[in-house]
Amino acid sequence: MRLRLFIVLVFGVNLSAWAQDLCVHQIQGQVLDLDTRQPIPYVTVIVKEEPGKGAITDAQGVFEIKGLCEKEFTLVVSHVGYKEASHHHDSYHDHPTILLASDDHLLESVVVEGIYNQTSLQTISIDRLSSEDFTAAQSESLGELAGRITGISTISTGQNVVKPIIHGLHSNRVLIVNNGVRHEFQNWGIEHAPEIDPSLAGSVEVVKGAATVRYGPDALGGVILVNPPKLELGAGFEGTAGVVAKSNGRSGEGDLQLSYGSDNLVVAVSGAMVGQGDLHTPDYVLTNTGKQEYSYASSLRYHKHSFDLEGYYSHFYQSLGILRGSVNGSLEDLANAMESEVPPGTSPFSYDLNNPRQQVTHDLMKLKGGYVWDNQDISFQYAYQLNHRQEYDVRKGTNNEIPSVDLKLATQTFEVDWNHPDLGHVNGNMGLQWFYQDNNNVPGTNTVPFVPNYNVMRAGLFAVERLEAGSTTYELGLRYDIQYNSVRGRAPSNEIYSNELTYSQLTGSAGLKQNLKNHLNFRSNVGLAWRPPNVSELYIFGKHQASIEYGLWRYAYDEEGKISVSEVLSEENKPVKPEVGIKWINTLEGEQDGNHWELTAYTNVIRNYIYTRPAGITNTVRGAFPYFIYDQGDALFWGVDAAYRLELTQFWKLEAKSSYVWAMNLKERETFTNIPPARVDVGLDYERKPDFLSSSRVALGLSYVFRYFQEPRVITVREILEAEAEGQDLFAENNEMFDFMAAPDGYFLANLSWSAAVGKWEWSARISNLLNKRYRVYTDRLRYFADQTGRNVQLSLRYRI
Amino acid sequence: MLRNNWFSAFALLILTTWTTGCSDKDVPDAENEEEIITKVQLIFSPTEGAPVVVTALDPDGDGPEDIAPSGPIVLAPATEYELFIKLENTISDEDITEEVEAEGDEHLFFFGFSEGIFESPTGDGNVDQRADVINYLDKDVDNLPIGLITAWITGESGSGTFRVMLKHQPGIKSATSESTDGESDVDITWTLNIQD
Repeated sequence: MRLRLFIVLVFGVNLSAWAQDLCVHQIQGQVLDLDTRQPIPYVTVIVKEEPGKGAITDAQGVFEIKGLCEKEFTLVVSHVGYKEASHHHDSYHDHPTILLASDDHLLESVVVEGIYNQTSLQTISIDRLSSEDFTAAQSESLGELAGRITGISTISTGQNVVKPIIHGLHSNRVLIVNNGVRHEFQNWGIEHAPEIDPSLAGSVEVVKGAATVRYGPDALGGVILVNPPKLELGAGFEGTAGVVAKSNGRSGEGDLQLSYGSDNLVVAVSGAMVGQGDLHTPDYVLTNTGKQEYSYASSLRYHKHSFDLEGYYSHFYQSLGILRGSVNGSLEDLANAMESEVPPGTSPFSYDLNNPRQQVTHDLMKLKGGYVWDNQDISFQYAYQLNHRQEYDVRKGTNNEIPSVDLKLATQTFEVDWNHPDLGHVNGNMGLQWFYQDNNNVPGTNTVPFVPNYNVMRAGLFAVERLEAGSTTYELGLRYDIQYNSVRGRAPSNEIYSNELTYSQLTGSAGLKQNLKNHLNFRSNVGLAWRPPNVSELYIFGKHQASIEYGLWRYAYDEEGKISVSEVLSEENKPVKPEVGIKWINTLEGEQDGNHWELTAYTNVIRNYIYTRPAGITNTVRGAFPYFIYDQGDALFWGVDAAYRLELTQFWKLEAKSSYVWAMNLKERETFTNIPPARVDVGLDYERKPDFLSSSRVALGLSYVFRYFQEPRVITVREILEAEAEGQDLFAENNEMFDFMAAPDGYFLANLSWSAAVGKWEWSARISNLLNKRYRVYTDRLRYFADQTGRNVQLSLRYRI
Repeated sequence: MLRNNWFSAFALLILTTWTTGCSDKDVPDAENEEEIITKVQLIFSPTEGAPVVVTALDPDGDGPEDIAPSGPIVLAPATEYELFIKLENTISDEDITEEVEAEGDEHLFFFGFSEGIFESPTGDGNVDQRADVINYLDKDVDNLPIGLITAWITGESGSGTFRVMLKHQPGIKSATSESTDGESDVDITWTLNIQD
């Protein structure tokens, strides 16, 4: 800078003329296929503003253009059979990755800058749906959509409330990150689904390893990343509007997304809504299973030289009906409901939403600033979330209008992330994360609060370093967290209890990625993850539906070995340690002649795993109830995921996926319930476009889900009631885990779809449960009462502006 | 220069949120648990003489201790009784009987007893079958029985059991709704002795 100034002063030369002779800028990047993530050679990359400057990608898809005169310019990337990608680039953001979408795909090509792998852990593979499968599933809930990825299953309460299971773990052991922010909600509840609308997302990815080093506690099973659509500078005005109609539930949904990108600014707004009535099985209506949902979001991106600023706000509202026939107040009621062929309370189709139902709103606000200089960058992110959950049960009189659970959860996070300059072959990043959360029971429920009020403050510090040595990448991550919890609650007598807790944990991750010959690569990662016990696991007390639960600090054994619940305990008389898990995950991935295969094997040992087990039967005013206590012990999970994609001919493609999980409670030497059974999915695709269309694809999908054969013993409700009538407590002698009903039989499902596009219009017709099969899903709590939904015909139409 | 401004802005943000956040030590409000029934009292009132009273008290609500119905119920043979049922929430000291009466169109008592132990009603009660006879003496706004007051005539000496069920049947109570419809609010069985 000073040299130039000197030259100008001395020689009086025009500075811009000088700059033009100093054409020293360059760009290097990589071009990959959007779906397979494999490099594409012989791709043409040119600089629009400087004709004659360009390059062709090599066998690794890498290109390099030197001698550029401007720091900021437009890259145009094109290749036969792919959609052109245009990207505003500045030399402050190094190494863009261009993902080209092939011509007959519905999505556009995308350019990614900076760290591509958002978890910044490259030794754990990331799984995602193909762009077509993603677009097809966007009208589903997040849990259902994620459940289509190999190794991900779902735990649900009917079809409206669906949560993801990663390798056998769910709820508090799976982290969901929405637009770079940890999604904070009442995650402890199996009946609480994440409040995120995939129709406003750009992509959903899953990291099936213990990626806690980057995002903090809870990622024992893995992380689900919900990524927003990319905000591209210089893209001008873009948008899309779509409508979807489904026959099962007679639902209608619509979404609208608009964005405008100039050279320095991108503004985007989007909104979606859905209204659905009662769903139905092949034989009967599932009364009170309608839902209403709407969400909207707005985002802003400002870019000037080495500085980036991003703002985001979203609002989500959901009102979900829960099957009327699943409500029960006693074991007798439960037995009646389970023995009925058609669930109690079944009535003709209606859009009405009555009790029992859930009503949730979730607001997310995010501000992120980033700065790039000298081969390093730093970003600051602040986020605020407010989650308000109300659950309405069937109650007496005026109480029916009042929720029985009313919780407000406010969370603030602040993060600093620094990608330091490369030190030789070592690159990496480090960061600081601060977290503050406040959970409050909203008064006026006319029932003693289920979970206490609490405040949590947490600070975490982490570093991840990578060494690239030829074809091997070594990675090491370390993280330290410290957390303070302050809890205040009420016992059934309205007596107050309170507690202050401190947790701290060191976690880490070590792995390697090896590029073998012939497009084969191997990844292996050992990760340590942790989570502190949740307030519900410590303090829950009382009846919910047909069972009673006592949290870890709500019961004790007296001298005779009987359970007493008179006191609220604390860590002084009963220490409860956080869960710590070690997950070792290995993935072998290969690609040859358009065929792609992937094999993942993992094992997960979790110390201090918190679970529930039956402890006895108690007789109350409403009759007999089994009661469950929370306990801690070690648990072992292991499993295998496999996926194979084969190009049979130019038009025909075959895909096969399979997964299996084995789980064991090592302390009790028995199995767990709610572990997803093994499954196999096969898909056949025919993609051939007739002349009058721009794309056309017909797909047939077949799935077989096995019966869960590690199931615990079955003790029916009638057996419990009969034993109770004779004064016998079945669980006093044998407190092994049990199930009220045997696991459902294995089942076979088929679905068929046709999707096509012409010009700016896209449409599709999909039929799921093609054969209108009657079946029940083991990990759905409503399997005790009703079958799953029958055939569904879905029609969708989309216009891209 | 630009960097410094942003640093101080963010530092200020952390500081304000930290201080406002840390002052929240609120306890959840006490809630009036309106619906729980912890004590059920049966009062068999003969035309002459002292009433026979039995209770069932849940000692710990949702705790593991069993409810212990007092008793047995001892009734004289061949005698007319009017049965009054009282429901209470002993935790908040509330009389639930009034509430059930006020919401009579959503509540229905079912009774089950050993076959033939009563001369009237005959049979074994309507827990198994709604059509079986029970002598209801009260009515709700829809002219359907509730069951807080019922009439009984004992048979000869004997012993057996006496079961009382209160069902909450919002929107589904009818002349034919069964004991399997709706949710159970009370389901208690006493020992019953008919003796001199």
